[in-house]
Amino acid sequence: MGAESRSSVSQPGRQYRKIAVVVLGVTFVVAAGLYHLARLYVLNEAERNIQAVLLTHKGLHRYIQEVMHPVFYSLRAEGMVSEKFYAPEIFSSTFIVRNQHKAYNEERTAAGLEEIYYKMAALNPRNPVNKADALEEKLIRRFNDNKEIKDYREVVRINGKDYLYVALPFLVNQERCMKCHGDREDAPLGLQALYPGLGGFGEKVGDIRAIESIRAPMEQQYYLLYIVFGSSFAGLLVLAGLLFFNARLREMVRTRTHELEQEVVERRRAEEEVRQVNEELENRVEERTAQIAAANKELDAFAYSVSHDLRAPLRGIDGFSLALLEDYGERFDEKAKDYLGRVRAGCLRMGELIDDMLQLSRLSRGEIHREEVDLSTMAGEIAEELRRGAPQRRVAFEITPGIRVLGDAILLRAVLDNLLGNAWKFTAKTEEARITFGRQEEGGKDLLFVRDNGAGFDMAYAGKLFGAFQRLHSLQEFAGTGIGLATVQRIIHRHGGTIRAEGEVGHGATFYFSV
Amino acid sequence: MRTKMILLVEDNPDDEALTLRALKKNNILNEVVVARDGVEALDFLCGTGAHAGRDLARMPEVILLDINLPRINGLEVLEKIRANERTRLLPVVILTTSNEEQDKLKSYTLGANSFIRKPVDFQQFSEAIRHLGIYWLLLNQSPPVIRS
Repeated sequence: MGAESRSSVSQPGRQYRKIAVVVLGVTFVVAAGLYHLARLYVLNEAERNIQAVLLTHKGLHRYIQEVMHPVFYSLRAEGMVSEKFYAPEIFSSTFIVRNQHKAYNEERTAAGLEEIYYKMAALNPRNPVNKADALEEKLIRRFNDNKEIKDYREVVRINGKDYLYVALPFLVNQERCMKCHGDREDAPLGLQALYPGLGGFGEKVGDIRAIESIRAPMEQQYYLLYIVFGSSFAGLLVLAGLLFFNARLREMVRTRTHELEQEVVERRRAEEEVRQVNEELENRVEERTAQIAAANKELDAFAYSVSHDLRAPLRGIDGFSLALLEDYGERFDEKAKDYLGRVRAGCLRMGELIDDMLQLSRLSRGEIHREEVDLSTMAGEIAEELRRGAPQRRVAFEITPGIRVLGDAILLRAVLDNLLGNAWKFTAKTEEARITFGRQEEGGKDLLFVRDNGAGFDMAYAGKLFGAFQRLHSLQEFAGTGIGLATVQRIIHRHGGTIRAEGEVGHGATFYFSV
Repeated sequence: MRTKMILLVEDNPDDEALTLRALKKNNILNEVVVARDGVEALDFLCGTGAHAGRDLARMPEVILLDINLPRINGLEVLEKIRANERTRLLPVVILTTSNEEQDKLKSYTLGANSFIRKPVDFQQFSEAIRHLGIYWLLLNQSPPVIRS
């Protein structure tokens, strides 16, 4: 897991930064495009508004000139209106339209809309309100200088707000205009009377007398567009962000999955290793078991041959010694007979040793069949057998009833046989012999014990007590091969128990054991 | 009437001598045929090999069979005796030094009539032989001879 996985983590990180930069770039470009589009749209809207106003005004101009004027002239011709009568309020289309626009703006304001600036600007107007301002004046001159220019457009900023300003040539002087706009002297008297001065006079045919100067607000449209585009764009941004994070999460999941997979592989490998080690161990155990089984088998064969081959010659020695005594006894003196007797005794003892050794070997091999064993009953039986074997002896047996343990009945029988047999043997020279089999607690554990008040032993030799062929008494004192306690200890150990002895010379011995 | 005969299968000359001595000591004067290994024992029983042409109508009253034998061991001899139509009913006493559970189990499983462990003490051994003689030669009624 080292540098390899670390680089695989940082790689997508760099990639994401790149993606983020690209997204930001795209965002910027799209935003710029949208802004441009919005501006076009707003410009177009303003243009349409302006056009609508202009067309309306044009319509009104036409109505005044084409409908109202003929009526007025015919009324004058019929003498119903004085030749002198002139009222711009009902005659001058410029006047009417200007005032109509004023009213229109008032209505807009009332409706919460911004005013649309509108002016029919002239260089030399009759009414000073129509006088062109600096820009308008410049435009009029430009339109006059170059008749090809049909309009002028400009976005202007007033008090931080954008407006579309449009100027169009409005009135081109024609022959019929000259009646009222030519030389002052030629104009109707009423008009002359109404407008003193030269305003509105002195025009020339073909000249552009006035322009329409109109300015519509764009700001209102922007708000709407900003909201629409802004929210759409925000939505897109959020979507892009979500996609980005989704991709990022996916990458993280992929990385994590990869790591987990590697972990799984690692773990599998470890498991495999453990399994192999286990297998190896099992194999080794099997091997050992086989070796042990083979060794046991060898031991069996050895014990078998000991039982056969060592005993057979002994029987020969004993048999022929006896044959010598029987057949040639009269030729031997007492000493020779004694020697032969010793030869025979040696044979018998060796036979016993071999038998005990075989028992020790047999009891230490083979499986332990655990079952509940009533040791008290067993001890009672053994005591009975011992009594029967030597009915002349007076020995008091005290056996605590109900001592039950889990163990191999045959092996435990051998334990009690040996311990009680020993107690029996070593109390042979004790008056009021007493042998006890009981149970006592020591350190929270149940200890069983066999106690006698017989010959006892020196505690200095307690350690040697359980060694095979170890004897603490001479054969003259007490018979025995010294294998019994070795057998007992081996059986107790095979049961997972412990055994120890306490004693004092002349005051008996106690064997404590657990199973 | 011919005397009853004993077949002693024993490879150890000491044991052979002691057995014969014990028989004599106990006044068992019947004929004792000694086979020194399993092959010889089977030859005698079947009238083959060294015993070819033997009168097979005459069979031992009891076979005293040791287990540890050269060539064919006692248990195999027992198995073959029990497998042979002519000899399958013959009383076989396993007379061995062994005290192994396995030997006892196998012997009885293969159809031994008795299992006696030779004691080291000759007096005890002699006593055992005496009992054997009395039981198998006097008390026991032998199976009818099977003629082929």
